[in-house]
Amino acid sequence: MDPEDDWLVESLRLYQDFYAFDLSGATRVLEWIDDKGVFVAGYESLKKNEILHLKLPLRLSVKENQGLFPERDFRVRHGGFSDRSIFDLKHVPHTRLLVTSGLPGCYLQVWQVAEDSDVIKAVNTIAVHEKEESLWPRVAVFSSMAPGVLHGARLRSLQVTDLESEKTTYTTDVSDSEELSSLQVLDADTFAFCCASGRLGLVDTRQKWAPLENRSTGPGSGERWCAEVGNKGQGPGPSIASLGSDGRLCLLDPRNLCHPVSSVQCPVSIPSPDPELLRVTWAPGLKNCLAISGFDGTVQVYDTTSWDGTGSQVEPLFTHRGHIFLEGGRMDPAPVVTTHTWHPCRPRTLLSATNDASLHVWDWVDLRTSC
Amino acid sequence: MPEIRVTPLGAGQDVGRSCILVSIAGKNVMLDCGMHMGFNDDRRFPDFSYITQNGRLTDFLDCVIISHFHLDHCGALPYFSEMVGYDGPIYMTHPTQAICPILLEDYRKIAVDKKGEANFFTSQMIKDCMKKVVAVHLHQTVQVDDELEIKAYYAGHVLGAAMFQIKVGSESVVYTGDYNMTPDRHLGAAWIDKCRPNLLITESTYATTIRDSKRCRERDFLKKVHETVERGGKVLIPVFALGRAQELCILLETFWERMNLKVPIYFSTGLTEKANHYYKLFIPWTNQKIRKTFVQRNMFEFKHIKAFDRAFADNPGPMVVFATPGMLHAGQSLQIFRKWAGNEKNMVIMPGYCVQGTVGHKILSGQRKLEMEGRQVLEVKMQVEYMSFSAHADAKGIMQLVGQAEPESVLLVHGEAKKMEFLKQKIEQELRRQLAWAACTETPQHPCRHLAGAAEAGDGLLPEAKKPRLLHGTLIMKDSNFRLVSSEQALKELGLAEHQLRFTCRVHLHDTRKEQETALRVYSHLKSILKDHCVQHLPDGSVTVESILIQAAAPSEDPGTKVLLVSWTYQDEELGSFLTSLLKKGLPQALS
Repeated sequence: MDPEDDWLVESLRLYQDFYAFDLSGATRVLEWIDDKGVFVAGYESLKKNEILHLKLPLRLSVKENQGLFPERDFRVRHGGFSDRSIFDLKHVPHTRLLVTSGLPGCYLQVWQVAEDSDVIKAVNTIAVHEKEESLWPRVAVFSSMAPGVLHGARLRSLQVTDLESEKTTYTTDVSDSEELSSLQVLDADTFAFCCASGRLGLVDTRQKWAPLENRSTGPGSGERWCAEVGNKGQGPGPSIASLGSDGRLCLLDPRNLCHPVSSVQCPVSIPSPDPELLRVTWAPGLKNCLAISGFDGTVQVYDTTSWDGTGSQVEPLFTHRGHIFLEGGRMDPAPVVTTHTWHPCRPRTLLSATNDASLHVWDWVDLRTSC
Repeated sequence: MPEIRVTPLGAGQDVGRSCILVSIAGKNVMLDCGMHMGFNDDRRFPDFSYITQNGRLTDFLDCVIISHFHLDHCGALPYFSEMVGYDGPIYMTHPTQAICPILLEDYRKIAVDKKGEANFFTSQMIKDCMKKVVAVHLHQTVQVDDELEIKAYYAGHVLGAAMFQIKVGSESVVYTGDYNMTPDRHLGAAWIDKCRPNLLITESTYATTIRDSKRCRERDFLKKVHETVERGGKVLIPVFALGRAQELCILLETFWERMNLKVPIYFSTGLTEKANHYYKLFIPWTNQKIRKTFVQRNMFEFKHIKAFDRAFADNPGPMVVFATPGMLHAGQSLQIFRKWAGNEKNMVIMPGYCVQGTVGHKILSGQRKLEMEGRQVLEVKMQVEYMSFSAHADAKGIMQLVGQAEPESVLLVHGEAKKMEFLKQKIEQELRRQLAWAACTETPQHPCRHLAGAAEAGDGLLPEAKKPRLLHGTLIMKDSNFRLVSSEQALKELGLAEHQLRFTCRVHLHDTRKEQETALRVYSHLKSILKDHCVQHLPDGSVTVESILIQAAAPSEDPGTKVLLVSWTYQDEELGSFLTSLLKKGLPQALS
């Protein structure tokens, strides 16, 4: 039996459910719209890219009687074309608008998802503070009565633009040229940032720039970092995860960003082929669980409950290898996961995409609890 | 101005889903004749009154084409031909011709015997309808009349499914029926040449989907079966006699082998004979690669799957049973279902759509209490799983087909125009030009430009002696040097031996005369028909037509029969095939 068949048989034990799709173009974006749909977008530089609004297979959306729904396909609910590559896409909550960012980083594109047809149309642009040729601005959305888009490629170019009036409602007013790698809105007034250097900060937009942050970057600079805040930064315990391209994963408490609660070494293949692809996400439905990707064709899930100390080696709770085994042979070099995301409601379901245009939806089995 | 007119006649609300009328340069063709699966009454049949108002259907329609055996494409055929009235030709592929009547009969039984419907077609009507069928081969150009020709292309999807090109002069339409662009275990992917039809009519129900991989769907099936037998439960899989059953068996067999499982798998008797029948229909239909796999091991002879005996249903312990009929409406599968339904450890997997009124349809709608004969109530505690294994082209697949055929315009059937805006843009991008669009609720009129180009002659037509011939040559690439030379020269240069391919065919004729006389009759017959060819009667009694040799022989067992041996080289394939078909029709009676 070939390795693909072998893996599929193995997968019977490892996954509760597993879906594999082939998109017409690879995506670096997986953005949820409610819990039934996701947006994906292409990032090729020389041709038109598609933005697609995909509705999840019915089986994943229904709560009961799943067995009676044979459909395992994504439905393309809306689609649009972009001339630029798209590296980030955010949906503006409670609206039919999307904001995308790509190269060249001269502006952000605003799109409208049609109501009476299946078209996603470009409607507007948002000017950026500083035009960059090779950096693309990170994007996050403040959702409120008047939604605002937080964006910037560097700390000094961070600003919030009101979507409706197109006016700038917040700027950092600093001259710091550090490059940003993650941006995350936590509530109506706070956001978190992570720089490529590993520098992290929490910012209250009601105050002049005075973020809570860690000044010290870890030893061995030259790595690239990204981060995610879980639970919106509330609740006890370390809710900030920071991932470095050397495979180091740090957990931090928002109340003390200078001293990580724990710092571990993940068993990943380093160096990462494209550190920009690194991603760490907290599981919305599982306590203390997070997932990382971007080093190779796998997504690793970790349980951080008993992590402490510094430098310890950890083992993933689960590793998704589907992208390598399922038709992985056709790709040389091996595929790399471009992005992943957790399902908002189903605790162990994730979506992951690779640079060879595959998209997987998988529900892994926690082998510790199964008998 | 010549135009192509498309009128969807489909049933119920799903206009166009099951029956399409195409008028092209004055010829009228009906594409598919299906029933609407959602209705129980007359609404399930297309409304033919639109065309009958023009007079008799047989006069109005030049032919009917059926793309494949699914009921939503052929379910209304006997009603149409025998109850509404049509006596013209009905074209379909050989496997479709073999399987259609079986499914139609099954369907008839459910409707009449099970639900007591009146005004439904009878078994005799199905037989009479099938008598009007003319079976076609893939890529065979069939002359319906002097002007109208059709050609079938491989569509994947199910055994025998075809896409059809309909051509009148220089105008053509391609109708896809249901097709699939990704090969699976036994059926290849659909394929069409760059025929550049004026209009491509494609099913678009799945145009806006991105399909889950076949592997994952199979995995889901295996997982469900495995989990059930692991916990000691029994799995019932109701299947139709032909089609999906074989595929699922192969899947289970492979898995059982890999996992070294000992749980018994049974196959209802009757299915085994049908499996062989299916196998014989299927082998010529599949491609070389798949055929090779089957030669290595006959995929329809199973190691782990045994014939079922109804007594086994009462055996304790886990097992898997494939039983007919597929919708649990009668027979063995229903019997087994009744025995196993009360145990929640058991599972029934429905691999396809079930018509309303059947037990299958009820349980798939979520009903857990069923009223059986004698007002008995059956409580369904067993797990019910609905799985879909059918292969359809999704968004990506449709783009691939459009790229292959390069049509001038595209008609998306069964799609709401507004909702398809993005797909239209995609197709226009693919073809790099603007297209004319029409929704299926309108009757689009499509003006055609006359296209330059010669019409093709194909099998069944007398090949022209003086027509331009295909040139055979060999392209030799050496360094940056290209030479086109004759095959003989190439063989010499490469030092290869030339092999001659010669075909010989036996044609049996009823003739009581001596073989020399038969040969003479053949000679006269051919001479009168093939006026432009060189026909000779040689001294040894054989007849030659160009380089094709025909000899008459008398088999010793039967003096009333003569056997004609027709032999030709690979280069004369066209003429050789034509002669064989001609001779098979018999010789004319001698005059005087």
